[in-house]
Amino acid sequence: MSEERGIEKIRTYEEINQKIKSGDAVVLTADEFIKAVEESGLEKAAKEVDVVTTGTFGAMCSSGAFINFGHSEPPIKMFKCWLNDVPAYKGLAAVDCYIGATAMSETKGFEYGGGDVIEDLVSGKEIELRAEAYGTDCYPRRSIETTLTINDLNQAILLNPRNAYERYNAATNSTDKILYTYMGTLLPHYGNITYCGAGQLSPLYKDKGFETIGIGTRIFLGGGIGYIIGEGTQHNPQNQFGTIMVRGDLKQMNARYLRGATYNKYGTTLYVGVGIPIPIINERVAASAALRDDEIFTNILDYGVPSRSRPTVKKASYAELKSGKVQINQKEIPSSSLSSNKVAKEIALTLKNWIEQGTFLLNRPAELIPNHREFKPLEVKGKEPKVRDVMTREIIVGKPNDDIKDVARILIAKGVDHLPIVDNEGKLIGIITSWDLAKAVAQDKRQLHEIMTLKVVSAKEDESIDTVIRRMEQHNISGVPVVDQSDHIIGILTTDDISRKLVRRIIA
Amino acid sequence: MKLKLIYSRENLGKPVLSDVISKTNLPINILEAKITLNTGEMLIDVPAVGEKLKEVSNLFQKAGLVVKEITRTIEIDREKCISCGACVSPCPVRAITQDLNWDVDFDEQKCVGCGICVDACPVRAIRML
Ligand code: SF4
Ligand code: SF4
Repeated sequence: MSEERGIEKIRTYEEINQKIKSGDAVVLTADEFIKAVEESGLEKAAKEVDVVTTGTFGAMCSSGAFINFGHSEPPIKMFKCWLNDVPAYKGLAAVDCYIGATAMSETKGFEYGGGDVIEDLVSGKEIELRAEAYGTDCYPRRSIETTLTINDLNQAILLNPRNAYERYNAATNSTDKILYTYMGTLLPHYGNITYCGAGQLSPLYKDKGFETIGIGTRIFLGGGIGYIIGEGTQHNPQNQFGTIMVRGDLKQMNARYLRGATYNKYGTTLYVGVGIPIPIINERVAASAALRDDEIFTNILDYGVPSRSRPTVKKASYAELKSGKVQINQKEIPSSSLSSNKVAKEIALTLKNWIEQGTFLLNRPAELIPNHREFKPLEVKGKEPKVRDVMTREIIVGKPNDDIKDVARILIAKGVDHLPIVDNEGKLIGIITSWDLAKAVAQDKRQLHEIMTLKVVSAKEDESIDTVIRRMEQHNISGVPVVDQSDHIIGILTTDDISRKLVRRIIA
Repeated sequence: MKLKLIYSRENLGKPVLSDVISKTNLPINILEAKITLNTGEMLIDVPAVGEKLKEVSNLFQKAGLVVKEITRTIEIDREKCISCGACVSPCPVRAITQDLNWDVDFDEQKCVGCGICVDACPVRAIRML
């Protein structure tokens, strides 16, 4: 992009707002704008149209609300709290909490979650509040049980760290079992395809250069007015997986656009309605706003592979996905959406009406959200067990001149399979296994040095268990002595130790 | 009307279904079939009502099959439905479709009462009758 991002070449925000106030603004939904461009060309449509409205209504798990309950008499510093049995986050001040969409009821589980609490609050229903505290000099109360509605709350602020994915991968299932995922129900043997995202109505795809979307952008959120407060978590705009963080007052929202939901055997979530007005400030923005379903692509991934990198089965356009059938290997597979195309259209239309009525003005963002972000996976560090965490430290060792029969007796009594042989300074010089001993007794050998193995495979205490396991496999052995830098023996690691201790760790 | 036919070991080998079809001249459709070594279960769609349906049912019973009428079907609560489509592609017999406005249509004739859509609906708008 040679020109400055966000340049207001065709019109400025001030000009647009002037026209909105005087009722002269030309506002089209993204669907309508696409038709206008098809009829009169991009350049002309961009000149004529001031604002393009968008919409999406889908499950957005990274959603939730900050709530302030107000102070009771006597007051309480809530340490744990539940709304209709759904736990809310209480690592905040005395009577503030955050209720997250995916938190689940401790009594109803999958049937009811944080998303449902938010929907019930917005619909004005009564909610049961239960809280526990340890009691302090300033906050003596130790528990509370009461009911409340949204009107009783000081603040109820929807604050969603990640909403409105620009587009999303679609899903299918290659296995022979039905799968229940966050992408819905997937029938076996590529029986169906599910997708989400609104395609040509998708708010972030309609300004994919992020030239008008930024901190302070006023938007439709849950049926009320909300604001973008920054990039969303996992924002990955260069791959068209941009996201936004949003905030809005729950008290002015509408449960039609905020619906608690459950994905069977996966968990609870919240369907959130988001609509963003795209001011046509330059031709690049206009071109992005004019993108059609058949120009917006996504990958259909195989959710039968439970890995971070699921194989792509096919690249498909939103036009193909929305048609209800997708061709895979000469077979026609039924496809259907998880987000609501109907409500997405409704949101774009509602936002258009608000602007036309002059009640909704556009904001120039205080700062555009980034159009490039490194996308990092999580590397698992530190937790992987080391040899020192698993090895046995109380070891029995032998000396080269020890009598074989004496040693055999001790090993049998203690149930030990590996006997490291050390010199007078405790340095490892050989090893004997119970199998070697049995053979030696049969052959009437006398002293350990006659039968010990001199080339010993050993391990260091800071090596990773996985590395040593591979070494044991390569040498086809079931135990290794552990030595320090100067070859002094400090322990022994056997396959028994590994299975016993690691299994216990997993169970714990 | 949909009928569930339960075969026992003795009548598994016999061409009961084709006999009934040729006797009644009805285009009976097999919707589901599960056959193991000893028993079999078949879900069929019989395009008939009243006396004709009774006749079909009696023919199967005479041949030694257990016959059950399947009336189980689903109901979509239009108030709750958000027209998402999460129930549409998982339906194994395509009994649920979406029209041009994305509203869902339900074809009771096709439904085999498997219940997959009930679990698939994220807002619990579908229930089994
Ligand atoms: S019960 Fe089964 S067959 Fe009937 S509509 Fe639902 S998914 Fe389709
Ligand atoms: S899954 Fe439920 S909400 Fe979605 S279309 Fe089907 S019935 Fe309606």
